[in-house]
Amino acid sequence: MSSPALTAPGNPNRGRVAGILMIVVPVLFLGICLLSYGGILVVPAAMRGLVIAGLLISLFITGMPISIALGLSVLTFMFTMTDVPIVAVSLKLFTGIEKFEIMSIPFFILAGNFLTHGGVAKRMIHFASTMVGHWYGGMGLAAVVSCALFAAISGSSVATVVAIGSIMLPAMVQQGYPKRFGAGVIATSGALGILFPPSINLVIYAVATSGMNPLGPTGRAVQSASIGTLFVAGIIPGITLATLLGLTTWYQARKNNYPRLPRATWGERLRAFLDCFWGLFLIVIVIGGIYAGLFTPTEAAAMAAVYAAVVAVFVYKDLKIRDIPRVLLTSAAMSAMILYIVTNAVLFSFLMVSEHIPQSMADWMSHQGFGWAGFLLVVNVILLAAGNVMDPSAMVLIFAPILFPVAVRLGVDPVHFGVLMAVNMEIGLCHPPVGLNLYVASGIAKMGITELTMAVLPWLLTMLAFLVVVTYWPGLTLFLPHLLGMQ
Amino acid sequence: MFLRLLDRLEELIISVLIAGATLLIFVSVVQRYGSTVPFLFPYLHGIDLTWAQELCIYMFIWMAKFGAAYGVRQGIHVGVDVLVNRLGENARRPVILAGLLGGVLFTGTIAYLGAGFVWDLSATDQRSNDMEAPMWIVYLAIPLGSGLMCFRFMQVAWTYWRTGTVPHHGSHEVDGVVIDDAARSTAPATAPWGTHA
Repeated sequence: MSSPALTAPGNPNRGRVAGILMIVVPVLFLGICLLSYGGILVVPAAMRGLVIAGLLISLFITGMPISIALGLSVLTFMFTMTDVPIVAVSLKLFTGIEKFEIMSIPFFILAGNFLTHGGVAKRMIHFASTMVGHWYGGMGLAAVVSCALFAAISGSSVATVVAIGSIMLPAMVQQGYPKRFGAGVIATSGALGILFPPSINLVIYAVATSGMNPLGPTGRAVQSASIGTLFVAGIIPGITLATLLGLTTWYQARKNNYPRLPRATWGERLRAFLDCFWGLFLIVIVIGGIYAGLFTPTEAAAMAAVYAAVVAVFVYKDLKIRDIPRVLLTSAAMSAMILYIVTNAVLFSFLMVSEHIPQSMADWMSHQGFGWAGFLLVVNVILLAAGNVMDPSAMVLIFAPILFPVAVRLGVDPVHFGVLMAVNMEIGLCHPPVGLNLYVASGIAKMGITELTMAVLPWLLTMLAFLVVVTYWPGLTLFLPHLLGMQ
Repeated sequence: MFLRLLDRLEELIISVLIAGATLLIFVSVVQRYGSTVPFLFPYLHGIDLTWAQELCIYMFIWMAKFGAAYGVRQGIHVGVDVLVNRLGENARRPVILAGLLGGVLFTGTIAYLGAGFVWDLSATDQRSNDMEAPMWIVYLAIPLGSGLMCFRFMQVAWTYWRTGTVPHHGSHEVDGVVIDDAARSTAPATAPWGTHA
């Protein structure tokens, strides 16, 4: 994740000492590992986890790619400290992504990239404006709705902020809304896509925890969450959060008497709906197909990708046939980046588990009398802090395998835990100092980060309140999957 | 000249693989449901596509390995660059170079280990479950992809050493959306490792 606006201007020698430390600290950790390998230094088993975590964090700080940092820590650990046979580790290294489920990630990315187009964004905005435009803060509400729709099918928060923001913001300013109001709505609503199916981050959570089957509080093995169940579980929290963001918008608009749009007729609404129906139908294909048992999640994703290509090229005509290779290339590169992190993260969590780290964490927690409530509070704090500096997908891959077994041991439902992580990721994208959505929005709105931080505050507080609700009211998440008899 | 050819080849391989895998799964699903339609049954019944899933996995493994190498050239691999970006130009240089060399070290090691792994496999008669393809050919992606990635990291490090620039990946662009130039100039300049969300 980037934080470009923090790039230091002026003094080229700034942070000289810090820079040297960034290189020296990982080397020190490496030295500890080597000394222990040579038998000069005895590192007790309990400390090994800490040493490796220290190496990983210090490598992260240098700014090297997350996947490389993970890989280097694993290699160091594997060669110097562990008793796990190297053959087992290297087999894992080479076969880590050989699961058909994981292959849904490139398909979903491809489907999203076909429909991530300004033309699709305009259709969503038009539909949303005809539906909610006549209420207080009409265009603000329309921004929330169109962000939710566009983010759901494009699967990218940044693309949503750019696509919806660059059309909606100038229009809102022209209508007489203050710029900070518009920028605040769009920067926060852009993150909604992480909860709405098909969400790539929920797929990653399912993949990262699949096959772990940790023990529950009663000592019985608990199955990890399936992709289909997670998708269905995300729907109600997603709609609730969108509604809450809408209410925040409406309340402020009413207080300040912001302009409203003329009420659209039902005929206009129907026409606008039909116009964006083809894009929205993608969600129906994925959810309906998986739920009805027609497709596996990966097949649904492949169907969605083909469908999205057909809609983009032949129905919407936003995309020329000669543009297709470019879409393929960018999607392939993005998928490869995520799959590369997956490979190394799988290995990392394999080592963590073989060192019994989640298990000893769980033991310690229950020994300390931490209930699930206390544990989830800690999880939220950790994830909010990490979401600050890390890409959402990398965050899930690193934290899910470690925290998931602990959560299950304390009686947290796997599906509930996945949705909770998703909400944390959404907030991480929008909160200062380094939420990515803020940076993108600041570029579009031509506003400074400090100003934008103030601007997003009402919506950010709403999101935090919502996080508390999701955390301590599992029923909100689990209601729909249970109703549909999933799991 | 050779480098240009390598670039194009890399791009061609990953685009063809992702497109091929998508169509493959699409066709296998259509075939599965198509053969339940009485009218189409005689045509589709005899085709056996049980190997599609396996082939798709292997295509994606190849795509992932070569795509990761392409990603290095494009600056698409994300890192935690909050702190590095706060350093002044002179202080930042060695840290970024160290990061790039870390990439060289890791991918080089994997290429070496992978080559050994593939070599051992080729001595055995291990074949995949459905297609019965020799496994060492499948896993050849690892030494080849990782080797290429190592080469790309060296390339990027060399360019950075000489010019002080690293590849940028702009994820702030959406087709069909025009942000005017004034906005673009204040838009965040992408950080060394690019951005993605």
